[in-house]
Amino acid sequence: MSERKNFNHIQYILPSLLFILLIFLIPIVYTLVISFFSWNLLRPDLGIKYVGFQNYLQALKNPFTWETIGRTFYFVIISVLLELIFGFSLALSLNTEFKGWKIVQSIILIPFMIAPVVVGFAWKFIVNNDYGPLPHLLINLGLTSITENPLLANSTTAMFMVILADVWEYTPFVTLVLLAGLKALPQEPYEAAYVDGASAIQRFFYITLPLLRPSIMVAVVIRTLTSLRVFDTIFIMTGGGPGSATETLSFYGYRLAFQSYQMGYSSTINLISFFLAIIFTLIYMKLIGWDSNE
Amino acid sequence: MNKNIIIKIVSLIIVIIALIWTLYPLIWIVFSSFKAPLEQFSIPPKWIPENFTLRNYKIFFSNTEFIRTFFNSVLVTTSSTILALIFGIPAAYGLARFKWKHANLLSFIILLARMTPPVVMVLPFFLISRYLNLSGTYIPIIIACSFFSVPFAVWMMQGFFSEIPESLEEAARIDGCTRFEALRKIVLPLVLPGISATSILCALISWNEFLFALVLTGQETRTLPVLVNMFVSEKNVDWGVMSAAAIITVIPMIVFGLLVQNNLVKGLTVGSGK
Repeated sequence: MSERKNFNHIQYILPSLLFILLIFLIPIVYTLVISFFSWNLLRPDLGIKYVGFQNYLQALKNPFTWETIGRTFYFVIISVLLELIFGFSLALSLNTEFKGWKIVQSIILIPFMIAPVVVGFAWKFIVNNDYGPLPHLLINLGLTSITENPLLANSTTAMFMVILADVWEYTPFVTLVLLAGLKALPQEPYEAAYVDGASAIQRFFYITLPLLRPSIMVAVVIRTLTSLRVFDTIFIMTGGGPGSATETLSFYGYRLAFQSYQMGYSSTINLISFFLAIIFTLIYMKLIGWDSNE
Repeated sequence: MNKNIIIKIVSLIIVIIALIWTLYPLIWIVFSSFKAPLEQFSIPPKWIPENFTLRNYKIFFSNTEFIRTFFNSVLVTTSSTILALIFGIPAAYGLARFKWKHANLLSFIILLARMTPPVVMVLPFFLISRYLNLSGTYIPIIIACSFFSVPFAVWMMQGFFSEIPESLEEAARIDGCTRFEALRKIVLPLVLPGISATSILCALISWNEFLFALVLTGQETRTLPVLVNMFVSEKNVDWGVMSAAAIITVIPMIVFGLLVQNNLVKGLTVGSGK
């Protein structure tokens, strides 16, 4: 009986498992292998040479790698933080009773469905110094010092504009996760607090925030994972520039492979991205309790 | 009582700011898509076009590339979404129903596949499809899109399946159904809204996929995001035509997304309710 049962669930899971293993593990192993080789796609005459850990040593020694990791985390931390602040305020507001909220929810969902390429284009257009509305708005507000240089041509403002586009696109996701969390909160603690005469602010800090912690953590980890892989908006808006001011790990890996044609070194850099993805996926699994065997 | 009113007013202000912030870029692009070139280049920029014109849409639609690209996007999206459902639904059901000692490892692999940055996968995909002489065909891009949508479908459907009480199936099986029949006749109809939301999100992933499309598609097979990119990277961007292209690219997904909105929201947040 137990063997029959085992066979039973294998047949449901196996096709998908094989598919994922085939198109996931083979490329990963392939990446791992070529990370030990020197391989320039444009120079077939040089051949594919085994170089041991040389790519890894080069990656570790090159300050640019560390700068890129730093930039990536700067991007991730600032955008996730802003998304959390905006998303939380909006979720709290939408958790009050009001008839129009349904339509509001539909509207704020729209950015989530727009292709990142289009989001990148839209923001590139909006912050365009000549024809975009944002720089003119800033000038009208008297903030002329910001708009002296084109916003995407200045290292500091370029990074901030890329973050802005990311915040625009993903705040809806954070809002929805937190709103679902808020709606699932038990009512009893609030009633008890009400009887005890707790103020709204006390209720927020002593009841809502601690009870909502799991939802907040899930939103933060998922957004960290998806924001680590940012590529499309940066590619469209700045192409990693000016200089390398907005170049994140994903973009660096892409540039090494498809602009410098260094297959081996690009694979090494990509494995750093992959390693970060593993760490945050493990954190996520721990958060939703998949590691404990129920 | 007073405090309640203050909270309501603050909420209303926050929501209004959020709406303006969300709609600002959208309305700008919609208006720009109806502007003639002269108005696009007016300084300072004008929001509302004085003469509504369909010129930008006409230019975009008369571009022979466009029809082909649109067809490519539909083909790639449909194929990879069907793959995602065929592989994803049974696996999600298996994971939701059976206790298996390796279930955690499996969940980890599926989740990791979903979370892996595309850039990690794009280089091996490119080299392998070059090696297999598949460059320039639809196969690499369809497989690549299902690389993201299959794990996503498993992850999302698992949540919908675990909401259906097992006792329903057991009852059916006592009445003589096999497990598969119980799944087909009892469970699948109940999770149908979940399936529709999952298909939409899988379609969204493939429709919007850019990096893989950029690297793996050739002139014959390129999809809409790649075409949008080609317009943007031209020296003299025609912002009006670009805006029209952007709107054509996003309209189908916005329509589908809003149709299944409630289940979409449920599906997106399903992983956080655990």
